[in-house]
Order: sequence, then structure tokens, then C-alpha cells
Amino acid sequence: MTDRLIDDIRKELDSGKITSQDLFDEAVRKAHKYQDEYNSFVTILDKKEEVKVDTILSGIPYALKDNISTKGILTTASSNILKDYIPLYDATIYKKLKEAGAVLMGKTVLDELAMGGTGTTGHTGVVKNPWNKERMMGGSSAGSASSVALGIVPFAIGSDTGDSIRKPAAYGGIVGYKPTYGRISRYGLFAFASSLDHLGVMARSVKDVSYVIDIVKGHDDKDMTSLPDEDIKYIEHLDDNIKGRKLFYIKDALEIETSNDELKEIIDNFYLTIEKMKKLGVEIEEVNFGKELLEAIYPSYNVISCAEATSNNSNLTGIPFGSRIDGKNVNDIMMKTRTEGFSELIKRRFVIGSYVLQKENQEKLFLNASRARRLIVNRMNELFKEYDGLIMPATEKVAPLFDEASDKLSDEYLILGNHLCIANFGGFPSITIPSGFVKDMPVGVNITGRAKEDYLVLNLANKLEEVLGYKGQVKNNE
Amino acid sequence: MTKEYLEMLAKKLMFEMNDSEYETLLKEFDITLKQMELIGKIKGIEKVSPMTYPFDLELDDSCMREDKEENEITFEDMEVNVKDFEDRQVKLPKVVE
Repeated sequence: MTDRLIDDIRKELDSGKITSQDLFDEAVRKAHKYQDEYNSFVTILDKKEEVKVDTILSGIPYALKDNISTKGILTTASSNILKDYIPLYDATIYKKLKEAGAVLMGKTVLDELAMGGTGTTGHTGVVKNPWNKERMMGGSSAGSASSVALGIVPFAIGSDTGDSIRKPAAYGGIVGYKPTYGRISRYGLFAFASSLDHLGVMARSVKDVSYVIDIVKGHDDKDMTSLPDEDIKYIEHLDDNIKGRKLFYIKDALEIETSNDELKEIIDNFYLTIEKMKKLGVEIEEVNFGKELLEAIYPSYNVISCAEATSNNSNLTGIPFGSRIDGKNVNDIMMKTRTEGFSELIKRRFVIGSYVLQKENQEKLFLNASRARRLIVNRMNELFKEYDGLIMPATEKVAPLFDEASDKLSDEYLILGNHLCIANFGGFPSITIPSGFVKDMPVGVNITGRAKEDYLVLNLANKLEEVLGYKGQVKNNE
Repeated sequence: MTKEYLEMLAKKLMFEMNDSEYETLLKEFDITLKQMELIGKIKGIEKVSPMTYPFDLELDDSCMREDKEENEITFEDMEVNVKDFEDRQVKLPKVVE
């Protein structure tokens, strides 16, 4: 039953055919069954929370990414440095889900401290793709994606700083949504890069994502960056008429001369997808974004995110936070704790972050990256005056094989593989939905809209989902 | 870019790295600096105001918290993460030798 859509589960619960305990037990049984094979979880709970309320989510099990604070429940951020950390408070998103009666069943694996895109760098091991175990899940919300794709839970919460919800969603054939910056309070989310960090939802349909977002969105006194409340339920706008809406795609990112058959097939899948969207009465036009700006996306993201991460994680010293390794004095303790607590990838990113923030480098590196960010966001906002959204292939490839996966920087300008972080630069709502298969692996299409127009992005995605035919997709290996 | 400069940064960041990690890092710096050089060549970039936040903050009175004292952390909550304590006081590493 946990591999079904929320409406189906709700119906069974309300009719009394199943209980919340049955659902929890099923989710936990499946989680244990798949754990050795796929490694979705850091922690699988054994006891169900009891909250008696009446909402669409009451009694329904879900999973949380392990960088979200849960009072009294181990929260590691998949890093050795936090391997024993038990939070003292609940994140607002967890509190809201608990108050709505949703039932937490586990905490999911991520790339260490959410700083990676492969799902291979968590301290408890790699997360494997349910569609093919030789392939990666993608990250950083790897365990959240695999727990939904495997049908363990109907939805899971992830975080997204560059593409960490929307890329693994594409690789897993599920829906991944990152709302407008500030739409969901980040109180209790372990910060990676604060100006880019978002919380979001992974599920098996746009409708299920909308159910969850309607419950977790809203202003929070504990997060000054959270947006004011809005008097709107996204679920009520999913079926709005989209005839006459206008979308664009980035021509200069898609016009690639390549002998790579996989990339060609992904681009073909995209063109087929937009043809279906056009039949719904949506106008879709190609637009030249500007190669100079497209090539600036990834390096700017790299510089800004590393700089913010260096600063945000400076409290992990073994003194206020972090599993302390004893030493002869405070400096020795910090040195040993951080040397042993962080993996190589994290250390490299921190050094890059520190370098770009040094007084002598700041102007040419950190500030230029922040200036490029503005130019990219300005270009998007200019296009959003004419268009309601951007539609693009979510990724440039299917989930890579493990020996292809790398978190090392590349000097290839993989524009098509990095455009998703435009939505983090400008705080734009952005969703990936499944659009088909290439090489027997799922691929996705992404729609990004104007900031604060979440309802429209979900509306467009819902209508497209109806004609694509992958709603409720799950890789049930039972 | 030299290994010595990176060692100085790692020391400031309070961790150690081994030779092969520095080797990978030096290669990454080559790429990062080359990419950033291209960004530096974007016409008029020096006149652009750096962006530090996705959009203008909407701060008004409703965004200000009431100034009321809240103490959410009890000793019992805290002790689950404390290695060593005595008489409800946390033992910290010695700072002065």
C-alpha cells in the first residue's frame, strides 16, 4: 500500500480497511528488506508517533533527509563528524508534518553534509538506484529519492541547494519539487549554502507533492527568510486551465553537436515531451539565453556554495558540535576532530571556499561569482516578463554507472547538466517530473517558474503529467 | 597556486590533508580559476552589484519576532550529546595549559 498514491492510501485508511500502524509496519518492513541492497536509510524507526488529527496526511508514513533536525532522533547529515548527534529540537517542517499526523518512519542517506550530487559520499555508504543497482541514485537527497522510487514511502522530504531534489528525482523516475526560496521554513535544516538552500518534497505525483507543500509551507518566526503566508492552496489550482500559457526552452543549451547517443535520446525525449505540452494549448518557444551566462552557471555555483559552506560548517569543531576526538589542547582537538570527521571531498570544498573568500581573491572570485549570479537571475526575470516558465530536460544523462560518477570538478562545460541551479540562484520554484526512459533508465523534464508563483509551476506540471503517463511510477522490486 | 598556499588554508580551516588530496585539489583549482577567469571577462561585470540573496527581502513588522524570553533547551535534552559532565555542568576541554 505504501507504493500507492496518497488519495488511494487515504481512501483505504478512511474506510478502515487498513490502519496507520499497518502502513508504518509495511514501510519499515520494506525499508529493512531493501536496506542492504540500496542503502536508503541512516535510521529506520521502530516506533510510530501517535498524533490524532484529521488531515489528508494523517496516518501516512514518510521519510526525512538526515540533515533535518528531529528531537531525540539521531541526525547525522551523513557525516562522520555528526555520527552521534541527537538534535535538541524539531525542524519546523518536521513539526508541521507531525502536527498534520504524518508518520515519520526513517531518516534518509544524503551526500555528506548535502555537498555532492552522486549519493556516494554518505558516511554509511553509497545509495543505489532502484532501476539498476549498477547505477547511482544521484544526490544529495539520494535516500529520499530511492525510498520513494522503491515504494517504501509515498513521499519524502529533501533539500536542494543546486539540484539535490530535482536531479535524483529524474534519475529515480519520480517527482521532485523545490518551491520558491523561503516558502518552506528552513529552521532545523543543517545549512550548506544559506542563500541557495531550499527544502522540498519528493513523491510519485504532482498532486502528492502539492498535498505536502500545502501543509509545510508558510511563514515561520524562527526563520527570518521564510516568506509571508499566502492565502492559497496549491492543490486547488492543479487543474486550472493552462491554455495560452507560454514557456521557453534554452536553445543554446540544447543545440549540442554530439556523437553521444544517450544525450541525443534525452534531447529527443524532451522534444517529444514539449510536443505533448503544446497539444495542451501551451505555447513553447526557443530562446537564446547567452552562452557566456550559461557557461557562468556552474563556476559561479561552485564558488558561492563552497564559500558559504566553509563559513556555515565552521562550528563543527568537536567543541560545540561534532563527535570530539580527544587531544592535548583545544587546537589539537579541533584539528583531529575535523581531520577525521570530514571526508576528502568536503575538505577540498572548504579549501576552495576559504580561498575565494581571502581578501586578496574576493574581488575576482567570490564577488565576480555573485555578480554573475545577478546577471543570470536578471536574464531569467527578463524572460519571465514574456514567459510563464522555463521547460528543459532535467539532466543531460541517465543515472551514471558508479565508475562514471565523480564529484571531482570537470573543465567540461556541461551546461545541460547544470542549469537546474539557476532556480537556486533566483529562488525560483522548480519541479522535475518523469518523462520517459532512455537506456531502460528513467529521465525527467523540468519546469521552473517565476518566484512566488508556485501554484502555476505545479499547475503546469500536473497538466503535463496527465498526458505523459508516468503518474504514480514506482520501481517495485518486491 | 602552490601546495604550500593550500596547506596554509587547510591549517586555518583546522584540518590536515594528505599529498594525494592536495594533488586533486590543485587540479580542481586549475579548473576553477580558468572558469572564473572567463567570468571576469564578461563585459561590464565589475559594475554589477553582487547578488547575495535570491530576491529582495520582504521585511516588515510582521517579520519581527515578539521580544519574549524562551528557553527551549533543558539539561535533560542537552545531556544526550554531552560526553562528560559533573553536577549538571558540562566539562569542556582545557583552554589554558
